[in-house]
Amino acid sequence: MLRKPLLFLIAALLCTTLLAEAVYQQPDDFLSETFSGNVPEPAVIWIKGDRKEFVRQLLGHRYASLRVRYWRRNQRSAWVLEEIGKDLPITIGLVINDGRLEQIKVLVFRESRGWEIRHPFFTDQFDNAVLDENNALDRDIDGISGATLSVRAMKNMATLGLYLDAELRKQNVAPSP
Amino acid sequence: MSRHHRRKQRFKLSSFYVWHRYMGVSAAIFVLIVAITGLLLNHTEDFQFDSEHISSDWVLDWYGIRAPDTMQTFLAGDRYVTLMGEHLYLNRREIEGNFSQLVGAVAFKEAFIVAMTHSILLLTPRGELIEQLQDKDGVPANIKQIGIDANSAVIVKAGHDYYQPDADFIDWKKADKEISGISWATPSLLEPRLKTALQNHYRGEVLPVERVILDLHSGRFFGWLGPWLFDAAAILLILLALSGGWIWLKRRR
Repeated sequence: MLRKPLLFLIAALLCTTLLAEAVYQQPDDFLSETFSGNVPEPAVIWIKGDRKEFVRQLLGHRYASLRVRYWRRNQRSAWVLEEIGKDLPITIGLVINDGRLEQIKVLVFRESRGWEIRHPFFTDQFDNAVLDENNALDRDIDGISGATLSVRAMKNMATLGLYLDAELRKQNVAPSP
Repeated sequence: MSRHHRRKQRFKLSSFYVWHRYMGVSAAIFVLIVAITGLLLNHTEDFQFDSEHISSDWVLDWYGIRAPDTMQTFLAGDRYVTLMGEHLYLNRREIEGNFSQLVGAVAFKEAFIVAMTHSILLLTPRGELIEQLQDKDGVPANIKQIGIDANSAVIVKAGHDYYQPDADFIDWKKADKEISGISWATPSLLEPRLKTALQNHYRGEVLPVERVILDLHSGRFFGWLGPWLFDAAAILLILLALSGGWIWLKRRR
């Protein structure tokens, strides 16, 4: 009699494991929230030359694409970046205001472990983070047991976002209207 | 204890010792396999066995791994864009990631534009991914065709409508349905040599080294009989430990 419910439970558990993708916020919604519904036109920054080398050293591999999209108004920019934790990409949203990290948020998490990085007790550590003279985060970020790779991915994306934003400001790129 | 009894005891011990040695020799090969593979498995990440793949033909044949017979190919400029399983290639260069539902590919300026049903890939001639554009980037859903119009601009057909990107592929807009002179990407045949090279590459990307070490460790590498053989070896090892202990105790007396 217990066989059917047991099979259902096993199937449900398997499905939960296999379909581990959790969408906490759609990137479009993240952008809309960041810019209060008035999202600026996107622009792109290329990861080539020195930038490519910096990113390779930061991540230990190339970034997934050669150009990255961003949305910018005045000194405030928003980024949706992806980095693999262990096996699958984690989609992370960042808001940078005048070179300081205003917000970092896990938008989509696809790994089976390490989802704790989405909680404010962890992300709050990044509040107002800036890059030091070595292009590293200006602070130590406490890890989470069992989420080492996800924590590393998030730290790397925070650094990458701040670095790319600094590159934009170096170029003095005119922000989107 | 009589001399006869002592001789009988000694004979018993020596015959037991012979059995012990035979068991040791029989189990030795399995012990070596299990010990070496066990050591390797403890360091899979150090040696990157989880990301390295087997390319040996006989091992791949042994596992029955074959490249798919069916593949989709489009000739874009002078390069072949091929989807084999979930692997996408620009000529021989594999594009990072898993892909499906290839719709077409065209050469555009110094890049290659590859259309999937729900995304567009921008590639450099070296096969580097410039960007993968999806619906969140304004790419129309349900892409059916990709081509170049009479003005040398990229155009896609999605559903019953036509769409065109701006110069930087950042924004997509619905195009006029009356556009004429479009050269749509059409499936092409792959050169036999390139096809063989891709099939070999595909096979070499399927089987992680870690899988083979695990199978050697458990005996599954040797087919259905393997686990039974390794079970027997494990029992032999247990007997070996017991008989060794027993012989040691008897000798001390």
